[in-house]
Amino acid sequence: MTSSVRQTLLIALLLIGGGLAIMATKVTRYDYPLTPGVEKTLWDFEVYMEFQGRDEPARIDLFLPTIMETRAVAGEQFYNGSFGMTLVADSVTGNRSAVWSYRYPSNKKVLRYAAEAEGERLATPLSESFNAIVAEDIPFEENVVKRQAFIVFLASLKRRSSDDVTFVDLALRSIFDGDKAAGEDADEIDALLDGSSSLTARLELARQTLAAQKIPARIANGVYLTGGGKRRADISNWLEYRLAEEDRRYFPSGDPKRFLTIWHGGEPLVRSRGVGEMDLQIGLQARSGAAVALADASSRADSPFLSLFSFGALPVTTQLVYKVLVTIPVGIMLLVFLRQFVGIETLGTFMPVLIGIAFRETALLNGVLLFTGLVVLGLALRFYLERLQLLLVPRLAVVLIFIVIAMAGVTNVLSDSNQSIGLSISLFPMVILTMTIERMSILWEEVSGSEAVKQGLGSLIVASLAYLAMTNQYVEFLMYHYPELLFVLMGICLLMGRYTGLRMSEAWRFRELARL
Amino acid sequence: MLRTLHTVLKGGLAKNGVIGVNERNLTLINAHNPRALMHRVNDKVETKVLADAADIPNPALYGVVRNGRDLSKLEEMMAAGGDMGCVIKPAKGSQGKGVLVVDGPLMGGWRLANGQRVDAAAVRYHVTNILSGMYSLGGQPDAAMIEYRVRFDPVLERICFKGVPDVRVIVLSGVPAAAMVRLPTAASDGKANLHRGGVGVGVRINDGVTTSAMQGDRLIDRHPDTGEALGDIAIPHWDAILDMAARAYDVTGLGYVGVDIVLDGDRGPMLLELNGRPGLAIQIANRKGFREHLAAITALKIEKRDVATRVRFAKRLYETSFGVVSSDDEAAAGAVVTQLPNKTPAAAEAA
Repeated sequence: MTSSVRQTLLIALLLIGGGLAIMATKVTRYDYPLTPGVEKTLWDFEVYMEFQGRDEPARIDLFLPTIMETRAVAGEQFYNGSFGMTLVADSVTGNRSAVWSYRYPSNKKVLRYAAEAEGERLATPLSESFNAIVAEDIPFEENVVKRQAFIVFLASLKRRSSDDVTFVDLALRSIFDGDKAAGEDADEIDALLDGSSSLTARLELARQTLAAQKIPARIANGVYLTGGGKRRADISNWLEYRLAEEDRRYFPSGDPKRFLTIWHGGEPLVRSRGVGEMDLQIGLQARSGAAVALADASSRADSPFLSLFSFGALPVTTQLVYKVLVTIPVGIMLLVFLRQFVGIETLGTFMPVLIGIAFRETALLNGVLLFTGLVVLGLALRFYLERLQLLLVPRLAVVLIFIVIAMAGVTNVLSDSNQSIGLSISLFPMVILTMTIERMSILWEEVSGSEAVKQGLGSLIVASLAYLAMTNQYVEFLMYHYPELLFVLMGICLLMGRYTGLRMSEAWRFRELARL
Repeated sequence: MLRTLHTVLKGGLAKNGVIGVNERNLTLINAHNPRALMHRVNDKVETKVLADAADIPNPALYGVVRNGRDLSKLEEMMAAGGDMGCVIKPAKGSQGKGVLVVDGPLMGGWRLANGQRVDAAAVRYHVTNILSGMYSLGGQPDAAMIEYRVRFDPVLERICFKGVPDVRVIVLSGVPAAAMVRLPTAASDGKANLHRGGVGVGVRINDGVTTSAMQGDRLIDRHPDTGEALGDIAIPHWDAILDMAARAYDVTGLGYVGVDIVLDGDRGPMLLELNGRPGLAIQIANRKGFREHLAAITALKIEKRDVATRVRFAKRLYETSFGVVSSDDEAAAGAVVTQLPNKTPAAAEAA
């Protein structure tokens, strides 16, 4: 392998690898969609705490949603005021908290935490900290009455159930909608709940019941992401448990479509010390939009490097230009392939791609008809001009002006008959047409008419394929939202630049030599 | 057609070492022809100056029209050819584009090689087109050369239909690697260009005898217009041709050139032009892919040696690569060569 081959390979692999790595990061870390038209809802989550300082050391602990793969939380912001803030993570429960502290706060203070989250679904697996739950024995060791009631309740459940699944089902029904199905255990449940009917107490009892049956369970707390959003959302509690290797959640108030788990355990969301009464508001606001825009926003906030590979921050008109520009390399790459590997002959190197771009204005069929028609007309004129013996540049000018006149004629004729083709013609590139006509006519005279037609057709085929590739909605989407793919295209073109094999057309050309 | 493509793709071409355009561009042109030296072959006026300096015979230059002012001297330059006519061609043209072969004066105008009569204005228009770059690469402004019209050697007359045949020698690293005779046909309008329908006939490097022929991309045995057999014709002045071809390397410094030589009936072989990007159809004419042969030449590394040595190696290598028996051996064995003269006029004369 020569050094130039090695270098080419190395650079090409670096470009392709780098481009794909950036793309992969965007897809996996920031959830960029791979297909156009994906809609996604993102929730702005905010905790607002207002309280009165009491001139004594103050400490406020707030649970924050733990960030993990299954729970995308991005763009976290802390408004600390004059407080000091530290983040604390509990390795056992997996809970994460912000701890604000201040020595002598006086008068009104405000603390705020804001983040955006996608939330979780019922199918979202439980977080890893769930595995850390340790098995428990029968609770209420210090309270004989409760312990006895629990044992009776447990025995009754076991008697009436056939396996863990029915056990859990029965236990949850008995605890949460007590009177109907589980009528006979009502007394025990009342005793265990101390007459309290609070949801948290019932959840704790359910957790203990499942734990006693060696089914790991824990209480999860968070918010439901439903409706459009709320100024004052409530904290909801539910039960997480794992039954037969399957992650399950039990929502006492019915299953929400989407929710955000904030912390686990029986503690309240905010624990404060040394401050007056607290006004706690949990705000939720749904933001819905193209998944790409949301991913763009979160990646830009997160990584200035990745924001280099996004056009989202540019003015809209510039964005529209780039939407077209970034697809052109795809057409170019196709052209390289068709020339170096297939061996299609075209007029001019990149001219077919330019024609393909022009087809954007007219759509394919109209474009091909228009192109062919104008080239035929122009060729006819060009052959006549040959008799007048004009200088080259003035002759080109005459052909160009003729093209404009012909285009105007076509537009007028066709707009009368209400054909949209006539109006789409406006920007059809007359310079490209003129050069095509000139090249074809020289080829016609110098080589042969068939060669000129062959190359003209080749150009038209490549132009059509390039047009189809460049306007394909997936290509447009991928190239515009993953401009790093330009590196990949560059790498591929580098590799194609070292291709020394035969072209498909040469396999035909040299077929006599293959028979030897 | 599908069956053919199948055999082809199954590896016939790869096995036979056929070089394609991609491979030629990368491993031959890019590797052996420094771009900075390409102007020596792209500009035919420059080629001529270099050839003159190295005493390589070439058609006399009657004049160069570089701009509109020179146009007034056009007829004077054309007259220099007298009754023999002249050739007008773009200095930076390629593939024979824009070449006008003037047969001689006719009724105040000129008669072209194809029999057409043209007047001064038409010729002037053609020259203007050349100047404006119509035939040059990338349309850059060009100059028109008016030069001696070759009257080709009668040896090739029998197998030739109109126009001027020439000999194309591929020279790699100063070693003549392969050759063919290019014959104009009715289809090629009297021009010796293969992709216009001219006929290519492979020539053995070791003894200058033609082998097999092709037209388009098909193999043929007889000239499509004259019906004459194309094989076993000895090209006259073969050693002089090889010598010129090998020297073209020293003159240009280009490691991979196509040397086009015409055989003038009076003045012998003449260097017509050099091509820095010679085509690949010569493989079909020689019925062999060139990859191994060219690799063997490069491996020799004898580009620094003198011309005679390189030609000697060229013949020997050709015999090895193409599996032909040395003509000396054949002569010693009293074989084929003695029969050849009957088939070609030149050889017949010699006999």
